[in-house]
Amino acid sequence: MQKRRIWGFLAAPGMLWLGLFFVVAFYAVISVGLGNINTLYQPIPYWNPLDWNFGYLVQAIESVIPGGQNWPVVVRSVIYITVAITGALLIGYPVAYYASRHAGRWRGLVVVLLILPFWISYIMRMFAWTNLLAPDGYGSKVLSALSIDSLFSSIGLLDGTDWLGGQGITVIIALIYGYVPFFILPLFASLDRIDQRVIEAARDLGAPPPSSFWRVILPMSKPGILAGLVLVALPMAGDYYTQTLMSGSPSTSMIGNTINDYIQGGPDKSLGAAMTILLSVVLLFFMLYYLRSLRRDQGEVAA
Amino acid sequence: MNSTPEEPIDEAGVSRRSLFVRTGAAAIGTAALAGVAGCGSTTPVSESGGGSGGKGLLGDPTAGGPVDSAGIPLARRDYPVTLPRFQDPVSASAKPETGGVFKIYNYADYLNPDVLKEFGKREGVEVKVTTFDSVDEAFSKLSTAGLEFDVIVSTPDQLSKLVGRKLLQPLNEELVPNLEKNIWEEIQSPFYDVGSRYTVPYVVYTTGIGWRNDKVDVEPASLENGWNALWDATSQRGKTQLLDDKREALGMAMLHAGQPNINTGSQEIVNLALAGLDELAKNVRPKVQISAYETLPAGRITIGQMWSGDLLSGAINYLPKGTPASVMSYWYQAEGGPVFNDILTVAAASKKPIIAHRFLNYMMEPQVAYDNFVNYVGYQPPQKSLDAAKLFDEGILPKSLSNAVVTQEAYAAGNGYLTLTAEGEQTWEKAWSKFRAG
Repeated sequence: MQKRRIWGFLAAPGMLWLGLFFVVAFYAVISVGLGNINTLYQPIPYWNPLDWNFGYLVQAIESVIPGGQNWPVVVRSVIYITVAITGALLIGYPVAYYASRHAGRWRGLVVVLLILPFWISYIMRMFAWTNLLAPDGYGSKVLSALSIDSLFSSIGLLDGTDWLGGQGITVIIALIYGYVPFFILPLFASLDRIDQRVIEAARDLGAPPPSSFWRVILPMSKPGILAGLVLVALPMAGDYYTQTLMSGSPSTSMIGNTINDYIQGGPDKSLGAAMTILLSVVLLFFMLYYLRSLRRDQGEVAA
Repeated sequence: MNSTPEEPIDEAGVSRRSLFVRTGAAAIGTAALAGVAGCGSTTPVSESGGGSGGKGLLGDPTAGGPVDSAGIPLARRDYPVTLPRFQDPVSASAKPETGGVFKIYNYADYLNPDVLKEFGKREGVEVKVTTFDSVDEAFSKLSTAGLEFDVIVSTPDQLSKLVGRKLLQPLNEELVPNLEKNIWEEIQSPFYDVGSRYTVPYVVYTTGIGWRNDKVDVEPASLENGWNALWDATSQRGKTQLLDDKREALGMAMLHAGQPNINTGSQEIVNLALAGLDELAKNVRPKVQISAYETLPAGRITIGQMWSGDLLSGAINYLPKGTPASVMSYWYQAEGGPVFNDILTVAAASKKPIIAHRFLNYMMEPQVAYDNFVNYVGYQPPQKSLDAAKLFDEGILPKSLSNAVVTQEAYAAGNGYLTLTAEGEQTWEKAWSKFRAG
């Protein structure tokens, strides 16, 4: 009892900090999105929920349904994010698996290498690629020497040979590249927790390695996979600078770009805030699904 | 009180429509004030508040012409406007403030750091620059975030909004003597700010097409409509630029479609321009940005819509080793294309108004203006004493880019992006966000 009180006391400032800055900021977004604008098209937040005006939210919803102005952006974002998280899964899972179970004496080094990308900020890593992938950059030259660019354009993934010239594939690859470390780490932690004896038991009971992977390891790492996917999909949904740096063309703009345009650019800030509310609701839905499946899995394990 | 987004209200809860009714009825000076302060304000406008003179509407009993979102009449070249004053200018005899930080709000890379350092040394202040990407962004941050700057760099089309929102303070002309002494006569009392009540000009520019003549073989000047050079640059897909500025982008599409009035609020013409931009996006897939001064010399873009200063600034600062300035070419529409100037203003929130005035005056000193132009920004100041042709003859600036400076004649004959009505602005904005959504 005494112990609990001490920890509660110690956690209080942090909880207060997080709560304050999340709740206040998010409430401000809601108040703007459900507020109004003045004669100069500047937003007037409605702080009192009784005053809330749902006009902009309706406008935002109308813009993201089929036929609406932002429908193409929504479709594009869903495709980009789906492909990017699938890519992160295919690339990240073997790495996390290797690092947690087969790295042997290299394990320490592999873990350091996995953390290495965090030493350089995301945006700096993207900036590096804008130079490498420029028409006369080293990256483009290597890709060209290996005929990768012509391979990509022959199967219709690349239009021409300019990687930075508004190509959807570049944005997707950049998203995978940028976010895959965030996917690997939670997965690594989850795979690492799987008790070696469980796998041994599977083998003892006659399961060949593929079967023990499919029927034991993979199901047991599902919470890790889900955590990793949620951890990368959520920021991807709001990401706008990857697109800005790697393409900058409206033909590849994502939902984050649209919100950024509304909020930074002109008189449609309330609409931008309403879009943010809408996006949060959609993401919250996925988050709840994640939490539910997590609880279900834990239930199964306990049973 | 759930009102629809179509009918915005002001802080005091008055619908915009009823405000406009009043705007029409009252003298414009009062209306401008009401547009800002809301219905609670019944303060009579003082003599100096109303503004007068020129052919402007202010104080004109026949008021009722088009006004912007702040209720201030739209300035046009043939319709000069005197802006209202809501406070008295700072006294010329006041002592300059000392010490502390002097804050400037500006585009990136748009002031020579050496010039700023020299000013800081001269006045004993630490000069800090905060940057914005577009004047729209600047306006929205200024009006919502309550940022405190001393000097704000802006464009004439934003001016009446800034004044109407009381974000600027009126200038004391005694503190900026260089305006009359050194600046082109055309801009000493410009039509967008008769009597230079709030602004002094910063630099002049044109908007046109810049390209790498070693990579693209075009000559806009030989085309019937030069802007076609960009629409036709299909071989450069993805390596093209469109300015990240709704007025410039849609305005260019209007000129491309042969519509000379780039300050219209007409839905039909804006739709036409949007269709033109969509076609451009399909054909040449431009990047929407304003960094041509760096990406054109680097070859990351090969042709694009850009400002004249991008070429010179690129030639001065950003050419990679071994690339001569002569690989860059520039064209602008001499008749009816955008030829205009940016402005320097003093923020209402400035804690150092005297130093701010002195900064404006400093930027209009011939030597300072020259250093800022030739050694850094590449945009030319409208200085009487500056002979741009000579700079090219002497090789100080690359001769191949001699059309990237603005002659006094071109300025006098030029077009420019000017303030729109509130509805007009909304029309442009809607089209622009539609375009940006791809």
